[in-house]
Amino acid sequence: MKKIAFILISLSLVGCGTYVTKEEFAPEMYKDHPQTIIVLPPINKSTSAEAKEYYSTTIAEPLTQSGYYVYPMEVVNDVLQQEGLYDTETMLTVPPQKFREFFGADAVLYLTILQWNTSYMITSGSVTVKVAYELKSTYTGDVIWFYDDAVTINTSGSSGNTGGWAGLLAQVITTAITTAVTDYVPIARQANEKILLAIPFGKYHKLYNADMKSKIEKKKALKPVEEESPKGPS
Amino acid sequence: MNKMLLFFSIAFLGLLGCQPSSAPFYWGDYSSTLYNYKKNPGDTTLSVHKTALLEIIKEAPEKKKLVPPGVYAEYGYILLKEGRESEGMEYLAKEEKAFPESVVFIKRLKNEYSRGKK
Repeated sequence: MKKIAFILISLSLVGCGTYVTKEEFAPEMYKDHPQTIIVLPPINKSTSAEAKEYYSTTIAEPLTQSGYYVYPMEVVNDVLQQEGLYDTETMLTVPPQKFREFFGADAVLYLTILQWNTSYMITSGSVTVKVAYELKSTYTGDVIWFYDDAVTINTSGSSGNTGGWAGLLAQVITTAITTAVTDYVPIARQANEKILLAIPFGKYHKLYNADMKSKIEKKKALKPVEEESPKGPS
Repeated sequence: MNKMLLFFSIAFLGLLGCQPSSAPFYWGDYSSTLYNYKKNPGDTTLSVHKTALLEIIKEAPEKKKLVPPGVYAEYGYILLKEGRESEGMEYLAKEEKAFPESVVFIKRLKNEYSRGKK
């Protein structure tokens, strides 16, 4: 019995990859203590044109719940446009320090949508959202935290297979339909929640400055060239 | 048997460590009304989103949560765009009072508004 418990524990650890503490992963966060974050419109590297617009509505909420002051993105976008900054590509050329001068932000969050797609394999389908975060200090311009993660939802039609060709056909149709109508936004929210478990908590969170020893999965900084590769016929 | 219980407790605690703890802010329907507005921009979807912002302001204390960052400012900003100056300014002031770290941002919004009026 003891053996089983031990195996279960080991398995749960294996599932989570290499662990480091939040402090080991992002020591600058505990030195800089950023409190205010400006979120720029996401950089879209996925094949979906609408991903950018929709994804941006899912980020403020979980980021504030992690304890940060987040500037209202709609208002910020308006202000940036009045300053002549219309697209994300132009904003990327603005030094992070400018956003402190402009808004009083301590840090700038750059988001990249790496994947926002569906894949069909005749009787099985899935929807994947993969996002990467990069937080830069407006004092030094350095990256003080980064993380990425993906969430995949299986959209296969499990319509209680009746067997035979008719059953198979029914399943193919159900899969195609569920995959097509699957809403990405709840999946994007899940991806955000997963990623934000790894951010050191901000001052509005009760674990502010008390989570240095929390263990998180270690991630490597993304290479700027990483892009979505098309999967299956679309 | 007791030892096994201990093992499971430890494993369970390990899982708990992965869960976010109680959220400080009340967001109501914010993300879904904003999403709908972005999907179909127009007067109707904007007014639904405005209602959601007001409801957050009203309901947050009842839920024993804080009004989230940016909600007063976003509501005030929409009012200013509609020309409701005194109300809009009032909400910008509320943002600054609730979140003193927003001072630079609020100042900019106020300045841009008076600049736009000229």
